[in-house]
Amino acid sequence: MTAQAGGPVPGLPAEAHAGSRGAALGRLWPFGPAAAVLLFLFFIPLAIVFVYSFWTVQNLQLIPTWTLQNYLKFFQTDTYIRTFLKTIIMAVLVTAAGIGMAFPFAYFLARYVSTRWQRVLLLAVIIPFWSSYLVRVYAWQAILGEKGALNWLLMQVGLISEPLTIFLYNDVGVFIVLTYVYFPFAALSLYSSLEKFDFTQLTAAQDLGATPLRAMRRILLPQVRPGFITAMIFVFIPIIGEYLTPTLVGGTKGVLIGNLIVNFYRGGAFPAMAAASFIIAAFIILLLVLFRRYLQLDDVVTKL
Amino acid sequence: MPDDLPAIELVHATKRYGDTVALDDVSMRIAPGEFYCLLGPSGCGKTTTLNLIGGFVPLTSGELRIEGQQVNDLPPHKRNVNTVFQNYALFPHMSVARNVAFGLEMDGVKGPEVERRVDEYLELVGLLALKDRLPQQLSGGQQQRVALARALVKRPAVLLLDEPLGALDLKLRKQMQVELARIHRQVRTTFVFVTHDQGEALSMATRIAVMDAGRIAQEGTPQEIYYQPADRFVADFIGESNFVAGRPSQGTDGPVLELASGERVALPAATASLATGEEATVMVRPECVDVGLEPPPGPGWAVIRGRAIGVSFLGDLTRVTVVTAAGEVVASRPHAERSRAAALGSLLDEEVSVWWSTAESIVIRQG
Ligand SMILES: Nc1ncnc2c1ncn2[C@@H]1O[C@H](COP(=O)(O)OP(=O)(O)OP(=O)(O)O)[C@@H](O)[C@H]1O
Ligand SMILES: [Mg+2]
Repeated sequence: MTAQAGGPVPGLPAEAHAGSRGAALGRLWPFGPAAAVLLFLFFIPLAIVFVYSFWTVQNLQLIPTWTLQNYLKFFQTDTYIRTFLKTIIMAVLVTAAGIGMAFPFAYFLARYVSTRWQRVLLLAVIIPFWSSYLVRVYAWQAILGEKGALNWLLMQVGLISEPLTIFLYNDVGVFIVLTYVYFPFAALSLYSSLEKFDFTQLTAAQDLGATPLRAMRRILLPQVRPGFITAMIFVFIPIIGEYLTPTLVGGTKGVLIGNLIVNFYRGGAFPAMAAASFIIAAFIILLLVLFRRYLQLDDVVTKL
Repeated sequence: MPDDLPAIELVHATKRYGDTVALDDVSMRIAPGEFYCLLGPSGCGKTTTLNLIGGFVPLTSGELRIEGQQVNDLPPHKRNVNTVFQNYALFPHMSVARNVAFGLEMDGVKGPEVERRVDEYLELVGLLALKDRLPQQLSGGQQQRVALARALVKRPAVLLLDEPLGALDLKLRKQMQVELARIHRQVRTTFVFVTHDQGEALSMATRIAVMDAGRIAQEGTPQEIYYQPADRFVADFIGESNFVAGRPSQGTDGPVLELASGERVALPAATASLATGEEATVMVRPECVDVGLEPPPGPGWAVIRGRAIGVSFLGDLTRVTVVTAAGEVVASRPHAERSRAAALGSLLDEEVSVWWSTAESIVIRQG
């Protein structure tokens, strides 16, 4: 008997190991539509905007001049810088508040609630997604306004005697509504990590002498870190680009960088719009890179 | 003398979960260095007992002392007690060595001392070579050993083990039983071991508490539990038993049990006078029962006539099932010679006698 190695494997159709380029391409076609969408609706527009960011505009006409002026102008204008920083602070605060609320919720859900009720409660978290974002934000206008539900409640309870105007058309309103809007993202990301966690490990850690808090920090947190990172990414990054909520509940005082970009666009200042967009994009990419570093570093530290 | 203090002492301990009484007024004393087994059917309160000792659930009433100290309200991380969990609960993000070091770090042990003790205990369980692996890169038996080393490295007063061998296959389980017994002899820590496998309890324990519905049905050495079960529940739960019920009375050669058929079955000579007229049950283990066409002559034997309805050859022994006036009686006979197996085989469907030495039988309560 001669060895069959290298020869065709009996019983398999010839095409299966033909390895021809045509066959390989044939298997790739399901990617086609997605690749086309990505190319025509993302990369090409992105490239166009990138090019615009180096052009100038005169009498609403784009002129291909190749200049860094648009970027410089952004960094030299106080209000732009301030809005940008405020956006970052807002994103940090909302991420912190969202995760701060979502973690106890997800922890309790995963650890103490029966599987059936877990589903019910998760559904309750997801249901708001079935209504439009716009409707939900309008609803918040009705809640936070001077004659809104919140003021009514506070007055009924007797905490205040006059309606407050501090909730709507400023940063407070934006913070409240964004926290509400992004809570489900944080909750779902954290829950999906916590759900896989075996909580007897915490009992074991305490058995070995760890205080409950230390058990949490040394045993639980390192294992659910991916959930935290996902939660941060899903909350922080979209907020940097938020436009609708600041427009509707932020008013003129609650403007974020997204509103600025829309204003550039409406004013026909396409190069300024493009430059601001790329500054945001660069910032987010920078963050992701830093975050990756931080993550790996942290993994090394806990192993030491 | 501190040496005389029990390692664990439960005094009228009761634990209720709502309406469920998981532990019902249980008292026990476990001496230092014992290998104490909690044995019983599912739901009888074994895990609850361990959880009370470990500090994971509070007592409803009663008292718990560890090395003489009342610790009812001491949180788990302050108790000098460590646990091997049924699912091991190893930390998957830490290497074997880090897992074992964890408890030491929590105690503030530092530097080379940690390393030294981790190595010492990994050596003890035979896993030193695998210290840098992650738990998921180990087999079930190896994970089990890591859990053991992780708990023992803290040199606790008491080691609690909740069905630690439950997840292993039969062969590995036997191996680990031998291992555990060796480790126990080597470290001399008090072990409190939960199992519902009687073979495990009998082979490893210095003392066994058989539990039933939140109470201790009987406590004693493996031999006491096996040969002198306190009641029918214990006899049934541990090993295999024959029960013969009848009315006790006084025969010519001592106390006897009168069967419905009128047969008189000799009782152990030492049997305290039983209330005549009431039912009594005598228990005898199958391996103490012999079977044949004719019983041996002379006193000291309890004999019942019957018909052999089943003979199963099991290799090292033969089991003969005999229907008697008192129900089925099983005799389990080893064969030192081949001819013996053939002789037993020929009994099928014959009228036979079963008999046992009255000293091997015991009158028990109807549990
Ligand atoms: N957290 C709890 N809440 C309510 N009832 C409980 C709780 N834990 C245990 N029980 C009940 O207490 C009783 C004893 O349970 P326990 O876990 O001690 O049994 P066990 O002997 O360890 O059984 P198994 O062999 O199945 O592990 C059972 O009836 C059980 O249903
Ligand atoms: Mg149990």
